[in-house]
Amino acid sequence: MAAGPVVKKIMDTYKGKVRLIIKNYPYKYRDYSHIAAEASLAAADQGKYWEMHNLLLKNSPKLDRESLVTYAKELGLDLKIFTAAIDSKKHAAEIERDKKLAFDRDLYNTPTYFINGRKVVGNRSYEYLKQIIEEELKSAKK
Amino acid sequence: MRLLAAVSLVILTAFSAVYAAEKKRYSIPPENSPALGLQSAPVTIIEFLDFQ
Repeated sequence: MAAGPVVKKIMDTYKGKVRLIIKNYPYKYRDYSHIAAEASLAAADQGKYWEMHNLLLKNSPKLDRESLVTYAKELGLDLKIFTAAIDSKKHAAEIERDKKLAFDRDLYNTPTYFINGRKVVGNRSYEYLKQIIEEELKSAKK
Repeated sequence: MRLLAAVSLVILTAFSAVYAAEKKRYSIPPENSPALGLQSAPVTIIEFLDFQ
């Protein structure tokens, strides 16, 4: 399973017990990382962050501008507002802020997870993440 | 035999280093980043991702 389905399974299994927060860490040298991050946050402006998040993961690496607009259309977003946001890089400051968090912590790979602050680098199996979550739930009860 | 012992030691050291790193807790401000799940949830996963 890729990152998306594994995390989704965790969220479904541990409903109410796990909170997921997304930070964007687009690498400079990849073509569509930044614009895809912009698209996700532009969708968030219209209340469809997770829907767009899932579409982007599903269709990656097909993340050129035209494809992003197609996904926005599929989600029923206001396309004028959406394209204005991605073209003006409306959320650049937010994305740069996330990148700085990553740089400062010397992150060199995506995805990187912090589970109650404990770092897990790279794609992991459901069982691997589950084990850490179980440990954290156990210590939370103490 | 000595080589085997040396190799085992290296593997063991590498393994415990990975494990120790994972026990360390980093502080990441959630800020206004997209979030799913209850704010009161006992476990928080912060994921740094690249859609591409």
